[in-house]
Amino acid sequence: MNNAHIEVQNLSKTYRVPQRQSGLGAALRSLARREYTEVTAVSHLSFTIQPGEMVGFIGPNGAGKTTTLKMLAGLLHPTGGTAVIDGYIPWERQPDYLRRISMVLGNKSQMLWDIPPLDTFHVLGEIYGLDKTAWQQTVDELTAVLQMEDLLTKPVRNLSLGERMKCELVAALLHRPSVLFLDEPTLGLDVSMQRRLRQFIADTNRRTGATMILTSHYMADVAELCPRVILIHHGRLLYDGLLGQLSDQLAPFKLIRLTLDRDNGSADWRERLPEGTAVLNPDPANLTLRVPRRETSAITAYLLNTLPVVDLSVENPPLEAVIDQIYQEAAV
Amino acid sequence: MNHNHQGGLALIRATWLSWMQHRSFFFILAFGWMMQPLIFMFVWATAAGDQTIGGLTRGEIVAYYLTLILVNQITYSQTNWTVGDLIRGGDMNRLLLLPMSPLYNTLASELAGKVVYLTFVLPIVLLLTLLLKPAFNLTAVSLFAFLPALLLAWLLRFLWGYALALLAFWAARADALLAVQDALVFLLAGQAAPTLLLPPLLRTLAVILPFRYMVGFPAEVLTGQLNGTQLTAGFVAQIGWLAVTLLLYQVMWRRGVRQYTAVGG
Repeated sequence: MNNAHIEVQNLSKTYRVPQRQSGLGAALRSLARREYTEVTAVSHLSFTIQPGEMVGFIGPNGAGKTTTLKMLAGLLHPTGGTAVIDGYIPWERQPDYLRRISMVLGNKSQMLWDIPPLDTFHVLGEIYGLDKTAWQQTVDELTAVLQMEDLLTKPVRNLSLGERMKCELVAALLHRPSVLFLDEPTLGLDVSMQRRLRQFIADTNRRTGATMILTSHYMADVAELCPRVILIHHGRLLYDGLLGQLSDQLAPFKLIRLTLDRDNGSADWRERLPEGTAVLNPDPANLTLRVPRRETSAITAYLLNTLPVVDLSVENPPLEAVIDQIYQEAAV
Repeated sequence: MNHNHQGGLALIRATWLSWMQHRSFFFILAFGWMMQPLIFMFVWATAAGDQTIGGLTRGEIVAYYLTLILVNQITYSQTNWTVGDLIRGGDMNRLLLLPMSPLYNTLASELAGKVVYLTFVLPIVLLLTLLLKPAFNLTAVSLFAFLPALLLAWLLRFLWGYALALLAFWAARADALLAVQDALVFLLAGQAAPTLLLPPLLRTLAVILPFRYMVGFPAEVLTGQLNGTQLTAGFVAQIGWLAVTLLLYQVMWRRGVRQYTAVGG
């Protein structure tokens, strides 16, 4: 039996983008005959997500994260593959499906700009056909948790970005969706607001059991919220698994930390390092070396043999560094 | 189309509240829209002098144009200009996420706008009525027929413009067509001149094409310019064009959303 909440198979999306050089001549030529290039945004993506799971989508800009989310939210037709969420095919856009999902876009507001948030919440309550009591209960509950009772009656345009984001979250959760897509929900927020919203999202996930997919460029968001991450690059899936094991699997190097015995012939340590070793911290009391992953054990043995080592530890590099490396090199 | 009248009504209420925040902006817009018919009213009224033009006296011309100002205000669909922005700016995404047709969003600003505009235009037209002494030849028939003609005119003008605006799903600057539409309305819908006063060729065009049924027709109905046959033929044409437009809208919407979701917003 298959209990997956979200099941995606071979999902692909190729855009046809009109191509044209700059300048008037090119503009005129393109009137007569348009040239298109095909851009692959997402290519053969497959994964399943269980009910109540919280998954982080990570990848550099243009990796295909938002395109994937838009397909799952029914805003885009894929060019290939399938996706089934809660038994629905998202891009058929059935009203019953739209009632089950919600999407928060960090760079797009769904609040009505000139009137207080409470009015937008009212409209959404009507659009989703919510029962008055249930609506009131949800609004009370969410505004209490987010400590935003005093914002409810101010026009949205007078709110700060952080205050508005709180409203966006309430608006997205009013109809108690079973799937929530969060596209950069903490974009542009200060550190403490990020932390509070993160906390709120984690609580919501626990309380409502909603399945959540989050994209963010802040690794802190992902690290704190999502035990599981899906790493996409150039539209392809590079990694799907526990965040903690991402470095293990993907980092092409490891860090070796050494403490050398200063009194005992460690002055020329630099000359004695094997090839392929990079020095990150040259202090002999806390020497940090970066070595290729495959040669870690050979180099460790070599160092122990040739240098007066007091203490040695092998570590994975910090997550941010690994991600940065992957984003830059693209090849893993 | 995803019918959700309850949500739509709530949206209309909220949009109206939003728009009341910008009253003065809409008053200025409404003032601009009144200028053209006002100018042509004075031109034709002066031309008529103490005689008649095409069977219309000065008072009848004034009555026609004052009605036209109201009809134009009520049927003008300013929202058609913003649909393209919704599509290009990606705000259509937000609307497509809701279990409700995005048409409601446009209808909401449409209806909210009407109320705001009319609080400005109605007093002005009443004042002009007192000052200019128009000759309304009101009859029971003309009064009774005016309201349905007006409602159909608005529906036709709104949906027609909406369908054209949906071209933004394909072309980046579809607004140009809306400008052409406004020009045709100016010429053929009874603004530059009442349809009765048009030269034969233009007059035939006006009777056949949909534009007269968006503005001029209800004004002709109210001011009693039409005989029984013309009245019936007018309603038949109005309803016929509305049916065609409804079909056009549905085709445009279905294909447009498919296109939009194919290329992304």
